[in-house]
Amino acid sequence: MPQVKTDQFKSASVKALHDANIQRALGAPFAHFVDGRKSAIEADYTEESWDSMRERAAAIKAQTIERLDYYLDLVDRNVRRNGGHVHFANDSAHANQIVLDIAKQHDVKTVIKSKSMVSEEMGINEVLEQNGIEPVETDLGEYIIQLAKETPFHLIAPAVHKTKEQVSELFEKFLKSAPTADIERLCVIARDKLREQFAKADMGISGANFIVAETGTVVLVTNEGNGRMTTSAPRVHVAISGMEKLLPAIEDVGLFLRLLARSATGQRITSYNSFISGPRAGSDEDGPEEFHLILVDNGRLELLKDEVLREALSCIRCGACLNHCPVYRKVGGHAYGWVYPGPIGAIVSPVLTGLKQAKDLPYASTLCGACRDVCPVGIDLPKLLLHLRHKIVADGAGVWAERLAVRRWHNAMKTRQKLEGSVRLSRLLLKPIARGGYVKRMRAPVVGGWTKGRDFPVPAAKSFARIWADELGGGRS
Amino acid sequence: MPTPVEDPNKAAFLERVRESLGRHSPILATPDHPTLKATLPRHEEKVRTILGKTEARRVANIALLVKNATEAAWQVHQAKTGAAAAGVVSDIVANSGARNVVRTSDDLFKRVDVDGALRKHGAGPVVLASNRTRRKSEIRRLAFGSELGICGVDYAIAETASCVVIPRRGVARLASLAPAKLIVLVDESQVLETLDDFFALMRFGFLTQRARTPNYYNFISGPSRTADIEQTLTIGVHGPGEVHMVIFTG
Amino acid sequence: MATVKVLRHLGVDVAFPEDQTCCGQIGFNGGYRPEAADVARHFIETFEGYQHIVAPSGSCASMIKVYYAELFADDSEMLGRAKAVGAKTYELTDFIVNVLGVTEVGGTSAGLVTYHDACHLLRELGIAKEPRTLIEGVRGVEIQEMEKSDACCGFGGLFSVKFPEISTAMLDDKLQNVADTGASCVVANDCGCLMHMRGAMRRAGSPVRAQHIAELLAEGLD
Repeated sequence: MPQVKTDQFKSASVKALHDANIQRALGAPFAHFVDGRKSAIEADYTEESWDSMRERAAAIKAQTIERLDYYLDLVDRNVRRNGGHVHFANDSAHANQIVLDIAKQHDVKTVIKSKSMVSEEMGINEVLEQNGIEPVETDLGEYIIQLAKETPFHLIAPAVHKTKEQVSELFEKFLKSAPTADIERLCVIARDKLREQFAKADMGISGANFIVAETGTVVLVTNEGNGRMTTSAPRVHVAISGMEKLLPAIEDVGLFLRLLARSATGQRITSYNSFISGPRAGSDEDGPEEFHLILVDNGRLELLKDEVLREALSCIRCGACLNHCPVYRKVGGHAYGWVYPGPIGAIVSPVLTGLKQAKDLPYASTLCGACRDVCPVGIDLPKLLLHLRHKIVADGAGVWAERLAVRRWHNAMKTRQKLEGSVRLSRLLLKPIARGGYVKRMRAPVVGGWTKGRDFPVPAAKSFARIWADELGGGRS
Repeated sequence: MPTPVEDPNKAAFLERVRESLGRHSPILATPDHPTLKATLPRHEEKVRTILGKTEARRVANIALLVKNATEAAWQVHQAKTGAAAAGVVSDIVANSGARNVVRTSDDLFKRVDVDGALRKHGAGPVVLASNRTRRKSEIRRLAFGSELGICGVDYAIAETASCVVIPRRGVARLASLAPAKLIVLVDESQVLETLDDFFALMRFGFLTQRARTPNYYNFISGPSRTADIEQTLTIGVHGPGEVHMVIFTG
Repeated sequence: MATVKVLRHLGVDVAFPEDQTCCGQIGFNGGYRPEAADVARHFIETFEGYQHIVAPSGSCASMIKVYYAELFADDSEMLGRAKAVGAKTYELTDFIVNVLGVTEVGGTSAGLVTYHDACHLLRELGIAKEPRTLIEGVRGVEIQEMEKSDACCGFGGLFSVKFPEISTAMLDDKLQNVADTGASCVVANDCGCLMHMRGAMRRAGSPVRAQHIAELLAEGLD
């Protein structure tokens, strides 16, 4: 299991702010994501039609989540009827064991992997290695971070924070390739190396972008071709997915492909979409002999139990919220301390790994709402963040200094006199250290942080209420 | 092949899901979902409409396909006859400098004599199909060793410039994946307008001929690409980087 | 004071209920719902007798109009009162343009200004045209739109002091965009944003002012 560092957000984010390379990565490459999405949408849709697509998708997802048991049962029966195996894994350890059992059964020595965020939750690569099996990431970005032994920086572009020089260094070290600053050359190096793997791997592990209940079909949305390789070349294909990635009907797929491709990579559609419902038929020329689908809980029940948080299970992992989040765009993915960064990560990570440890994450947002504006399935992310803040406080896990400050605020806001008294007190404390009506350095619990970078105004001598009473005519009218 | 056994953990797993949703008994009725609810006669009607409109709008669909395919970095060629199409393929192969060429064994190759056209310039393509003399294990070796693949498609969707390829006897998955260059041959009658049209047809097949519904099919909507290094676009990573679409009238 | 001046100039009978304290958003956004509900109750009691409630603040207005219903969702007695208050609460520019039907307040000023779209005002209340209309109605003033006027300035209430480094990093971007317009003043409808921007511009010794839209509209009114 990857280490959960959600409690290190504060320090990790400050570190990221001072990391020139991370800041570079969060600039122009991301503008690309943002502009790409906008152009791709505007090329084919008006704002109204795009919004109505989002509403339809939100409704389908909501219905799917409300009937998750029904649809999971349908997926199971259909995939098995197609000749595939279906496993229900309670948590990471359970899922890892299932994979190991399948690997052992088929005497697997090498595994090729295409993108699966759930498999990162599981830490499957480490587990395979510990059991003498060599896992190779085939998604170029995931391959790079696998070599670098890092967690993904972004949902869609996991290695976006790496410069081409850094990638070259990694390839030189692990693949013994010649140094190069040419990105195309780097891709060729990776391609050749991975092609060897495709040809010899015993088992392919993929994720699933969608799972269609009606027909028992796993849908993969990719651009490189590694998704197809992983699910076509080896003898055994294992698809691992969170249990929420379901869609009811095959006729829902068109809508979701349209939303996902534009929201994630600014494309009308990705280069490849694979539709996998089971193992190869006897007459097929190639393809895996065995197909396994592993549906993983790993804490998702906690999201399901909460009527508000349940909406988070609609996420189709497009990354648009990350791309448009002004906080993410300043600190990047590693600061969030686990598999999922950005607004969706700030909701899902605490619930799946522990609210107390991750208690800073739901607060790491100004609730500006830019994420909600772009979410293709209309998740009200700020609402969910607020809900988690409330939970943290109600559970007694809030920061005690903040609790104290809020208590004082609460008390001061009871009456006009108390409010004015509180303001007068602040003025008393601040005036001596102020210059020109502003304070440059405030040492105070909770609010002291203001003066890191900003001057703080000393409250005026006369409150508006007094001015109103004395100069503006007073009265309640 | 016997149906795989149900996971012994399934019942408990689903029970926990149900409880989390505040329910105690499973849902038995089909949900009120717009397309799931559509029974066969209604769906059949829908499919008839789609086929009718596809035929009626053929010219417009093809124009849309050409436009979208070009935008998606396909190199698009159009030919009026099967023979002309074979000529186009032969030219592409000659220009590509590819020596090891493979093809699938679609019916279309009976109408488009690619073998003949290529043999004029050298060796014909290797057919990636197993038979008495060629074993399936050879398919992989031949595919990975090839430089150019020639494939038919089952459908071409104009909305997204997606070619649908369904693997089966004579149609290996690797034929359109392993070589660095790919030529797909699209008969005008195979062109559909939208993704929804395609999925409606697939559903119809599923409802009426479940046993013959393919367990695997792919959309190929352009060249293989990645922007994983510094968000700089590179074409041709694990799949073909150069893709040609030859649209012809059979 | 500018708000009062502007509203009176437009013929509105303005009252300032002196008992008022706060809308409660700080507590609500901090996750302290019971405390926020208490403060909100006081707000509702103080204001519910009036015909219209005008707030020169997008975040306060959105708290009252959008979030009071959520805050009192389980309190049937308060919910009705909260909704009623929400329905007659308006952010200042919304009130002037959409209730009073005024697009030119009648003031004069000078120079180039740029406008910052505060997050709650823009995304919760959908108000973006009204402030611009009113600014354009001020004689002698020209608007120069900044890059990403709708990007968050980094204030976010508690966020500004809980994560000051991220907050100021976001602010730097905003202020760069402001500076790039060449405007002598950045105008906004939210005191939080304004205090934030002003605080950093002052720290940097920038000559650019941060002004509340009410103050701009009040200039030159007699």
